[in-house]
Amino acid sequence: MSGLAARKAWNLAAMALASLCALAGLLLLATILRDVLAEGLGSLRLRLFTQDPAPPNMAGAGGLRSAFLGQGLLTLAASAMGVPIGVLGGTYLAEYGRDSRICRLISTLSDMAVSIPSIVIGTFAYAILVKPMGGFNGWAGAVALAIIILPIIVRTTEEMMTMVPWALREAAFALGAPYCKVITSIVWRSAMSGIFTGILLAMARVAGETAPLLFTSFNSNFFRLDMSQAVPSLTVSIYQYAASPYEGWVGLAWAAAFVVTVLVLMLNILGRVVIRLRKRG
Amino acid sequence: MKGGISKNLAFRCLTGLSSASVLVVVAAMLATLAWESFPALRHFGVLRFLSSSDWNYSTGTFGALRPLAGTFLSTALALSVAVPVALGMAVFLTELCPHRLRAAIAAALELLAAIPSIIYGMWGLFVLAPFLEAHFQPLVSGTLGQLPVAGPFFRARLAGGVNLFTASMILAVMIVPFISSIAREAMSQVPAMLRESSYGLGATRWETIRWVVIPFSKMALAGGVILAMGRALGETMAVAYVIGNRHAALDSIFSPYVTITSVMANEFNEAGGLQLSALFSLALILFLANFMALSLAKRLLGGRR
Amino acid sequence: MGDHLLVNGLDFFYGQTHALRAVTLPIRRNRITSLIGPSGCGKTTLLRCFNRMHDLYPNNRYRGEILMDGRDILGPAVDVIGLRNSMGMVFQKPTPFPMSVFDNVAYGLRLKRVRNAGVLRERVEKALRQAAVWDEVKDRLGQNAQGLSGGQQQRLVIARTLAVDPQVILFDESTSALDPISSKKIEELMTELKKEVTIIAVTHNMQQAARISDFTALMYLGSLVEYDETATIFTKPRNKLTEEYVTGRFG
Repeated sequence: MSGLAARKAWNLAAMALASLCALAGLLLLATILRDVLAEGLGSLRLRLFTQDPAPPNMAGAGGLRSAFLGQGLLTLAASAMGVPIGVLGGTYLAEYGRDSRICRLISTLSDMAVSIPSIVIGTFAYAILVKPMGGFNGWAGAVALAIIILPIIVRTTEEMMTMVPWALREAAFALGAPYCKVITSIVWRSAMSGIFTGILLAMARVAGETAPLLFTSFNSNFFRLDMSQAVPSLTVSIYQYAASPYEGWVGLAWAAAFVVTVLVLMLNILGRVVIRLRKRG
Repeated sequence: MKGGISKNLAFRCLTGLSSASVLVVVAAMLATLAWESFPALRHFGVLRFLSSSDWNYSTGTFGALRPLAGTFLSTALALSVAVPVALGMAVFLTELCPHRLRAAIAAALELLAAIPSIIYGMWGLFVLAPFLEAHFQPLVSGTLGQLPVAGPFFRARLAGGVNLFTASMILAVMIVPFISSIAREAMSQVPAMLRESSYGLGATRWETIRWVVIPFSKMALAGGVILAMGRALGETMAVAYVIGNRHAALDSIFSPYVTITSVMANEFNEAGGLQLSALFSLALILFLANFMALSLAKRLLGGRR
Repeated sequence: MGDHLLVNGLDFFYGQTHALRAVTLPIRRNRITSLIGPSGCGKTTLLRCFNRMHDLYPNNRYRGEILMDGRDILGPAVDVIGLRNSMGMVFQKPTPFPMSVFDNVAYGLRLKRVRNAGVLRERVEKALRQAAVWDEVKDRLGQNAQGLSGGQQQRLVIARTLAVDPQVILFDESTSALDPISSKKIEELMTELKKEVTIIAVTHNMQQAARISDFTALMYLGSLVEYDETATIFTKPRNKLTEEYVTGRFG
């Protein structure tokens, strides 16, 4: 029976180890979140949103207004390109491409494109939009972000539309609706909340992206909404200010990190809530 | 009626073109990267570029060996720490955790996996690097660092806490929630009846996990690990702050080093000519390595992801 | 022969749900006892009390006792792992583990630290012969067990159970996922096995209960309605409900 005692001891040891791993991991992740929230909240001032960056020798002044606006502009432009193309592309895969090999290839490719390192996408945008245009510009950044959004939206749209039962389409056909009408008025409507969640999650991903902007939209200290020039963004500002030797700038970086983290978490939570509401409804 | 048909056709074409855009973008990316890396690869030769550790602006010679080694080492080190911890977490979540907490912790993990890497990088720079330098490096220097042959490799030489080890640890922290999310999902797919069969034969929890749950989900677990590997390979912002980006022979795990992504993040903006082309070559290598890892992971995970 | 097990005033709760009510039922040694009743009546819940499968999930409570050779197996001091070792269970669907045929049967033995290759081989072969599946799998012992047919898998699972020398085997609708020929083989096997072990079988198939079991217990809404020799239950039941159920008028 000492065999049994040994087995139980092993079991206890393994389970204790697993619990320890879980505890350590969760504690560590909680620490990160706490640090970001505490440091960020401590540095958060109203001027973060209302003022533009100030030189480091001006203590107690300066904000990231231009970075907020720039980030919004970049995200808006990226969505304007990525979301419609993504939704339409996903629609084709779900509706016309169920048995086509090339569509399956596109679907697989989109799955993989979701995970392409974002810095590689940045180099691509640099090659096609920064080099020929002779300088950093907002369009290059927006295109890089749009390339990140595109496969995410294609895949979620395809998945959500495939889940809509075929009988629903048949019911609409029976009423004499043409296929494109069936798709736009019935299938899209049924899959809407799922697609919307996909869009929110894509936004969350893009809101925190830094690497693809480093050498596309770059950064700028000026308040300017000209997409043909360098456009400031929160994440690149964090990257540059956090590495700076000035306390005021590091504070700005923490505050911006706080805002970005909260934004990304909110978008994620919102996305999950939307999908859960649909499941219940 | 005719209007309906042509509208159908127009809609079909519009959506078809949109879906083709994915194909076009990926193909264009591959072609552009190949085109831009061509000058460097032709000038140095592919094999010499891959095997040379020289990265020198003044002489204009650029070799990929160090960034490749740095990416490989930091990823391997990160995985060796993150995989056991993440699996332990997944075991805890599927087998031990009180049911009421399970969903909450699982959701929290997924949220943590969504936090942008720049945040992890910043935390690594301000919190983890000083902590490791103050508490962990002396410990390792005093123990492993005293070994006869390998010793120097575990001794800290430069102050600042910015080095290969710190970079690997921040990568590990980043991928833990990712791996444990996938592992938890894979392990919860094991049919209850199969688990009960094992318990029914008098197995302990650990024995059931070791011999039934893990073998049953091993493909998906391996897929998850490879997916995480792909992530670690291409991660830029978490690494860029804390690796130090120093082109020099690696003399200790506590020395600054380079990775493919750190070189790109730090030098792309100021590069031109052969250096820029060499950087594009690095991007191409990263793109291809990542694609290979992903297709392998996809095969292992089956249709699930 | 006598009682091998005695369920004595057993109540069982899933959280707030009162799933078994004051069940008292003897289980005769080396006999087959069938538990029948409409779905949701508690027969599977009762079966899973015998090897304390309910312990795996939270908020489950037992009240009362199950005596095995006079010892209560529901007590807190009972070694659940040892109990399950002596109490084999076969599920609705075959549950081969993701490993070879041989390793499946050797699983329980290896848990008990049987390491000698010769002994393992001998015991695995004996168990597979007992489960009447040896001839079909002897040439593919190294292959993955999930490649066997459903009927073979179920007999493999029985062999896996037999390999650790259980005193009791619990069958939970173990033929419900099988074709008629495979079901018949399992039934013959059960009749053969009762020479060695005590069998408790949950079944929804009335004919099966009548064919194979020596005793039958009918349950309804968590309570035991009637327990008797199988012939009595099916020919002259005392209870009106039993008569209606076995003649197919309700359930």
